[in-house]
Amino acid sequence: MADASLQGKLIEFKGASLAVMTAYVRETDAVRLADALHMMLGGMPDFFAGEPAILDFSQLGNSPDRVDWTAVLSLLRRYQLQPVGVRNLDEHLQEGARRAGLAVLRAESFSAERPVAAAQPRTPPPAPAPAPAPTLSPTPVEAAPQAPAAAPSDNGLDNGLAPTLVVDRPLRSGQQVYAKGGDLVLLAGMSPGSEIIADGSIHCYGPLRGRALAGARGDTSARIFSTNFGPELVSIAGVYRTFERGIPQTVAGRGAQVRLTGSDNLHTLEITPLQYD
Amino acid sequence: MARVIVITSGKGGVGKTTTSASISTGLALRGFKTAVIDFDVGLRNLDLIMGCERRVVYDLINVVNGEANLNQALIKDKHCDNLFILPASQTRDKDALTEEGVEKVLKDLEHLGFDYILCDSPAGIERGAVMALTFADEAIVVSNPEVSSVRDSDRILGILQSKSRRAIEGREPVKEHLLVTRYSPKRVEDGEMLSYKDVQELLRIPLIGVIPESDDVLQASNQGTPAIHLKDSDVATAYLDVVARFLDEDRPLRFVAYEKPGLLKRLFGGK
Repeated sequence: MADASLQGKLIEFKGASLAVMTAYVRETDAVRLADALHMMLGGMPDFFAGEPAILDFSQLGNSPDRVDWTAVLSLLRRYQLQPVGVRNLDEHLQEGARRAGLAVLRAESFSAERPVAAAQPRTPPPAPAPAPAPTLSPTPVEAAPQAPAAAPSDNGLDNGLAPTLVVDRPLRSGQQVYAKGGDLVLLAGMSPGSEIIADGSIHCYGPLRGRALAGARGDTSARIFSTNFGPELVSIAGVYRTFERGIPQTVAGRGAQVRLTGSDNLHTLEITPLQYD
Repeated sequence: MARVIVITSGKGGVGKTTTSASISTGLALRGFKTAVIDFDVGLRNLDLIMGCERRVVYDLINVVNGEANLNQALIKDKHCDNLFILPASQTRDKDALTEEGVEKVLKDLEHLGFDYILCDSPAGIERGAVMALTFADEAIVVSNPEVSSVRDSDRILGILQSKSRRAIEGREPVKEHLLVTRYSPKRVEDGEMLSYKDVQELLRIPLIGVIPESDDVLQASNQGTPAIHLKDSDVATAYLDVVARFLDEDRPLRFVAYEKPGLLKRLFGGK
């Protein structure tokens, strides 16, 4: 009987590795955090779509006496971010974090480059300050069928072997595609209300009309190219720009590229027309 | 093989039911055995537009639940011999629609020898709308020349790409057609309305026709006669063109250019 053989296995444990986002928390006051998140994510309460996250406190300014974990966690969960653990947290705060249901992770159990053992989350390199959605995965129900979750690559961003994700059909309002670890190529453009995210660059043949986020894990050399420029938002490595007052005349509806210029701490987003002939 | 065609839009009030009634009538007039199913469970409009509301005994949900068979539920159209209507239920809610149930109804219709099965989708992107498009071979996406309608149509095209059986099974994608309805060339000329070219540019699917805005549509639905029956009216002509294009015949677009009314017309009024 199948029942008998499963009798002893009502629960089974297996190792699994999980790509997880790291949130570098530089402030523990819930009110100030709430303001910052609101500034960053505005009217998108479901921004993180249930994504698990590790809270990293290594960049915390001065360590507070206590942390109101209930407030901080409920704030993050409001954006559908699911904190699972903390690390680099001062000793005297760890007990509170444990009591709030968070795992206290040892800093050395992480290796940013190689996910060696199972259940060792990979840690993406820190993205510059306002980094929207480092690791959003395509929503399974709405994502275009030809947008499979690209196989995670251990290779990092710089060896040119990361997989390129190609989407052949128009991306429609409400659809989302994430090219993990590599470039994203859209062959039929995208509509307003859709979103594309790539860890590398984005190449869009056809209208670019939704939100386009390149260099999502902090690659400042990523660029966005489009043959018909007209997005709602562009972002490279977390530096973003919206177009409330319209797209600049020189690039609207034309070929254009978006890239970061400037030095490490003073990046600016530059949008320039593309010359084909 | 029966072809399943979904008439969908996302947004409400754009003319899905009017279009379903007219295109199904048009196909039946061409000699195809056609069924049109109202998926708007809970709201039931198609039978009114088709003028058969007094003859509704059983409905789609009864058939899905096995409480009636198809032959009992199908209502024969009063104008065309080979057109049948399967009305929606007014008393049940959308959760009564199951994927297996809908699939069985469509299979049974195919066994009954239907050439075309039109699914009149409800507005929105909820269960009823998804059920209507799940088994589609072709989709006629109805859009008004107006941004919110276009945006919703775009959304429904995305759902078509991800939730239709064809997409899930990786078969040839659902064939998409764009139908622009309630089109007023004058208001386009005045810059108050998107042109059909704008709409097509935004949605990037082939245009199957443009239906002009007309008072005749309201009159036709009040009478319970599909608009395509209104002899010599612009709307009927436009729908006949759509049916012809659907059957791969070449028809030039009509009723898209604005002609200034002549002097006599201005003096003596008239439409």
